[in-house]
Amino acid sequence: MLLQISEPGASTPKAACRERVVGIDLGTTNSLVATVLDAQPTVLTGGADAIVPSVVSYDGAEAVVGRAAVARGEANPVDTVASVKRLMGRSLADVAAVAPLLPNQLIDDAGRMVKLRFSDGRERSPVQVSAAILDELRRRAEADLGGPLGGAVITVPAYFDDAQRQATRDAGRLAGLEVLRLLAEPTAAALAYGLDRGTRGTYAIYDLGGGTFDISILTLVDGVFEVRSTGGDSALGGDDLDRAIAQVVLAEAGVAADDRAAVRAVVGAARAAKEALTDAATTALAATVGGRTITRTLTRDELAAIAGPLLDRTGKACRRAWKDAGFTPEELDGVVLVGGSTRSPVVRDYVRALFGKEPLCELDPEQVVALGAAVQADVLAGGQHDVVLLDVVPLSLGLETMGGVVEKLIVRNSTIPCGATQTFTTYADNQTGFDLHVLQGERETVEACRSLARFTLRGVPPMIAGAARVEIGFQVDADGILHVAARELTSGVSAAIDVTPSYGLTDEEVERMLIESFEHAEDDLVARNLRTERVEAERILAATRAAMITDVHLLDADVAVATEAAIATLEAARAGDDYLAIRAAVEGLDRASKPFAERRMNLAIAAAMAGKSVATVEAELGR
Amino acid sequence: MTATHLPDPFGALGLEPRYDVDPRALEDRFRQLSREVHPDRFAGAPASERAAALSRTRAINDAYQVLKRPQRRAEVLLAQAGVAIGDREVLKPAFLMEILELREELATARVAGDQAAVGRLAAVMRARQRALIDGLAPRFAALGGGDDAAILAAVKHDLITLRYVDRYLDECDAALDE
Repeated sequence: MLLQISEPGASTPKAACRERVVGIDLGTTNSLVATVLDAQPTVLTGGADAIVPSVVSYDGAEAVVGRAAVARGEANPVDTVASVKRLMGRSLADVAAVAPLLPNQLIDDAGRMVKLRFSDGRERSPVQVSAAILDELRRRAEADLGGPLGGAVITVPAYFDDAQRQATRDAGRLAGLEVLRLLAEPTAAALAYGLDRGTRGTYAIYDLGGGTFDISILTLVDGVFEVRSTGGDSALGGDDLDRAIAQVVLAEAGVAADDRAAVRAVVGAARAAKEALTDAATTALAATVGGRTITRTLTRDELAAIAGPLLDRTGKACRRAWKDAGFTPEELDGVVLVGGSTRSPVVRDYVRALFGKEPLCELDPEQVVALGAAVQADVLAGGQHDVVLLDVVPLSLGLETMGGVVEKLIVRNSTIPCGATQTFTTYADNQTGFDLHVLQGERETVEACRSLARFTLRGVPPMIAGAARVEIGFQVDADGILHVAARELTSGVSAAIDVTPSYGLTDEEVERMLIESFEHAEDDLVARNLRTERVEAERILAATRAAMITDVHLLDADVAVATEAAIATLEAARAGDDYLAIRAAVEGLDRASKPFAERRMNLAIAAAMAGKSVATVEAELGR
Repeated sequence: MTATHLPDPFGALGLEPRYDVDPRALEDRFRQLSREVHPDRFAGAPASERAAALSRTRAINDAYQVLKRPQRRAEVLLAQAGVAIGDREVLKPAFLMEILELREELATARVAGDQAAVGRLAAVMRARQRALIDGLAPRFAALGGGDDAAILAAVKHDLITLRYVDRYLDECDAALDE
């Protein structure tokens, strides 16, 4: 924005609308929230622990989160949900491998996102369970910061696909958070590192968490963090290693692998043993199964052998990522470790051998993602950091064409936001509808990719085969979420689109959940909406006024009159209690000031292209 | 299906349309523009400015995606010179036969799970890709010497050939991923 290239120290609206914003690391195993205080990213505790276990236990309508939920889980396994991140944006069929190990009752929702059924018969989506964790983090942050939050940046694994990202964003909405941005976890970590070290160069971020693995290759130059490639596995993490250890122990003890209670007990013991091996070369593993106690010693070498196949999967993703980025491991300036699972020496040894260099781990691998997210939230709220993050689409996006082949419109590792259009034609005379199938993935066949949504385009005027021109536009926003639009070009007739997300929730479903969530809350939906719209109105008013002062020479008389009128309307609406009226007035101001915004943007671009200051370009333009 | 629309990517980045773009200069320009107009810098701005930042950034990103790849750059220049690559372009039967045979070899190696053989086939094809791309620069450099139509036809032929080569390499990658 031009405001940011104006004189340093000059009064800008940023100062006026600084809000309480946070970064949230919504992890498979643990979650945490951080904010920037006095230019320093800091983890918030709400008077309790920094790390909140990502566990939710339900007692009827009441949700208990974190350590209390872990404690309650022993006696109420069915009503206690751990590792819900693995279920986000996933169908029952997708999670078949882990479902038998979970104590919860998972139910199919016609092939869409899996649901959980609780002992009182209630059903909840993983989105609602994640929202309970976010709600707890929000409350902790509000307790520490002394007031409602203005917004949050929530991190997601870089390799999360569209359905998983949408589910995360919906969870934020349900938790009453304004989601400023979904940010890739390795990118967040790089931000925390890069700022700390004032680094320049190309780095690999190896992020092995409880349930997800990401690898990103980034170049840092003068405050621009450019992700060159990313890869990973959104169902591979420390949890899998615990299970692999448990399988070995169970097999030796002759216990059936489908004995859920036994498996849970041994998995818990396996995790404890794995953690003990971080500091010791040998440890004792003990678990009580059906009244008998299984004991065994576990050495670090044995752990390395068990972890081998899992680590090799990470290695494969790393090799592809550096190839995609056009780098060899020797050319990288460093490899940074992120995620609780990288505390293990077994993992560190593997990474050292894979990249041929000593991995960097100065920052706490469990906090670094939340800290980076806090920095990004601060940037978005107009803080001091002069950084820009250029993230990418992790997986290619395409459409199904004849014969079950996928036509890619956007290839993986394209910088976001981005877009692409493709024109299709009819194959039958008088065809008035199109069925479109949107997919994400690298393989060439529909079956091997992930179905994101099906669209039906109606209202195409009847024409002979091949005459109609239907243009399909894909747009990926800065959160990495895809938006699809379609229109028929020859007739100019606008065609309607029906969207059926394959896994995600429809807007109506999110709205219904939101209303339900207020049935038991002190706050109410109208009050929250009013508060949100008022904050938005404040922000827009301050920004517009400041721009009108800074760039008064770019403001035509008629636009100025219309903008002033719209400002007056918004001020009147803001004083009232009707949030819909405020929203409408905000939109009115946007429409009125649009020509002004375009001119300001053109000038910024012209200046950047010429490598000159805005003032010089203005002078050249004779202003 | 018809060809994708190609807005002018050189214009979006404020660059002169030419084949021999300095990769460093291209990267610098991309970062510099991103720094000015990225939506993150407009998070607190009115929606009209946010929308303008988003569409500008999208145009910049899409342009960079195209221009950083020599082959895509060549496709844009060819299109700008008024030479279109259609859906059903015909290549020499000898080349098509050769590709067909190489595909069969790849399919056999894939079914047999012979990763080493897949790797060898990929290496051969990658060398060919390299040679074709390297050959584009002198062709573009010779433009303006009076025989532009023939040069553009040759460029077009190389680009169509490259499409086959790319598709083959994609299949090799898929096989190596298995």
